[in-house]
Amino acid sequence: MNENAPPQMADQNGMAQPERVFGDPLLTVDNISLSFGGVKALTNISFNILEHEIRAIIGPNGAGKTSMLNVINGFYHPQEGTITYKGNVRSAMRPHMAAAQGIARTFQNVALFKGMSTLDNIMTGRLLKMHNVRAPETGVWGLDHVLSWGAGALDFVTQCLYWGPNEKEEIRQRSYCEEIIDFLEIQDIRKTPVGRLPYGLQKRVELARALAMEPELLLLDEPMAGMNVEEKEDMSRFVLDVNDEFGTTIALIEHDMGVVMDISDRVVVLDYGRKLADGTPDEVRSDQGVIDAYLGVAH
Amino acid sequence: MNTRKITIGVVSGLAAIPIVGFFLQGLSKIDSSIFFAWDFYAEVVVKGLLQGVMYALVALGFVLIFKASSIFNFAQGAMVLFAALAMVGFMEWGVHWILAFVLAGGVMVLVAFLIERVVLRPMVNQPHIILFMATIGIFFVLDGVGQTIWGSNVKALDIGISRQPIIAFQGTLLPNGMYLDPTEIVAAVVGALMVALLAVLFQYTKVGRALRAVADDHQAALSVGIPLKTIWAIVWSVAGIVALVAGVMWGSSLGVQFSLSLIALKALPVLILGGFTSIPGAIIGGLIVGAGEQVGEVFLGPLVGGAIQDWFAYMLAMVFLLFRPQGLFGEKIIERV
Repeated sequence: MNENAPPQMADQNGMAQPERVFGDPLLTVDNISLSFGGVKALTNISFNILEHEIRAIIGPNGAGKTSMLNVINGFYHPQEGTITYKGNVRSAMRPHMAAAQGIARTFQNVALFKGMSTLDNIMTGRLLKMHNVRAPETGVWGLDHVLSWGAGALDFVTQCLYWGPNEKEEIRQRSYCEEIIDFLEIQDIRKTPVGRLPYGLQKRVELARALAMEPELLLLDEPMAGMNVEEKEDMSRFVLDVNDEFGTTIALIEHDMGVVMDISDRVVVLDYGRKLADGTPDEVRSDQGVIDAYLGVAH
Repeated sequence: MNTRKITIGVVSGLAAIPIVGFFLQGLSKIDSSIFFAWDFYAEVVVKGLLQGVMYALVALGFVLIFKASSIFNFAQGAMVLFAALAMVGFMEWGVHWILAFVLAGGVMVLVAFLIERVVLRPMVNQPHIILFMATIGIFFVLDGVGQTIWGSNVKALDIGISRQPIIAFQGTLLPNGMYLDPTEIVAAVVGALMVALLAVLFQYTKVGRALRAVADDHQAALSVGIPLKTIWAIVWSVAGIVALVAGVMWGSSLGVQFSLSLIALKALPVLILGGFTSIPGAIIGGLIVGAGEQVGEVFLGPLVGGAIQDWFAYMLAMVFLLFRPQGLFGEKIIERV
């Protein structure tokens, strides 16, 4: 149980901040190994993410950080090991099912729908929250499928007519998106096609789309890459606010050590696909292995 | 581009053709009286527009698949033929044409699911050119299977539309009215309905939003929980049904035969004009190509010995490729360097 104990937080001035309270592990990865042909991307990785925690994954380039996120949200299927999410043990999962169970993510190279407006991009995050759109989760064809398609067809007609319950539904979803737009301060780019936005704003729209999914676990892949200091500060503030106001658990990959040490509760360090260290920012900072990996050692 | 500019461009283009023809008439033995007959000109334009809707019906199928997967579906023409063959096949069993239409629709949905399962699923995240090559394969398979099952004879497809031309718009402006083919009028109405429905589908429904998302970025679409496979199956089903409608319309005017799979070639210039990603663009492109080639054939044809219809559309497409490669309504390609 010691491992799950909340770390004591203290800021640089030594003033104690209000103690952060975490719940049970939301996600536990256990002995995950992933390889592509002969290349071992991840070897025996185990760690957990507690509810309401901000968990950073750091490491040099090629350490396997993004692969780890891809395993968690189902893009990659590990050869060994298990993932326990909300008490369900699994070895692999389809990405849209991960999304349906509350795992949202952003990408290292912004992956937005470039032809659509900001608002439409955020609305795609609501797709799963709209009634009826959910595809049956089993691959077996049965009554479930038939009913789901039947209901879908009926639903589809009323949507085409933009009529009845669907009109209300659209308005309801739209108003949720507006809340997120306000929250992330992107009101003025609502109707702009995202392909035209500067990089920093695109990253923010991507975060907005992920938030629209009302995720329980938010995976952020280098949310601050390519940003200037001011944009980084904004983004850090948003990450902390999301964690605080929505209670969202966050796992983030980031190269900016200042940011990582400031905002994360616990840090796991990967190097060459292996786990190097795991602990509070202070513990990790003073870990000899981590220092060696980052600064290099003379052999 | 704004609608007004497009309208002015198209109308002046159509008007310019007979005027040019009029000034060039001295070069040939063309009967100059036709240039002054307003009702004749109107009839040619309307006939062309109706023909254009028929092209647009085929182009629609391309647009659907291009929008949802950014691949040019070479097999669309074969799908038109296959759908028409299936429908005629059911009718030969003595089934009423409406029921045959529904059954053929079912066949096309089945084909769509098969294509998704066998061809597309193993190719997720492959470059678009690979998927394009795969659709060439689908073309030959559908073509071959269709002719194996139903034979390669030309078959009549009769859905109860009269073959007698009807006289329309008779009034003070047009004392003689104009002669129109009923099949083409039906096609125009059906085409308009389909475009309205599909435009609404893409613009206002969550399925439409999901389709656009999938077209833009597979990975991002998966991450927000859009089931890629379901979406692809839906798109190919809808494209199959659009192909069926086009097949019925073309089949009932030309007969169901192998050349139906080649009318897809006429849809190409339509797509280039309208833009590969725009559903209304497919219709407008079809109308421009249809009207343009009819007017060109009648008023310029005699000067060059005819057969303008065969190449007019492609030349128009080439001009567009030079000056406006994204088409009239296509998405402008923005490249950040």
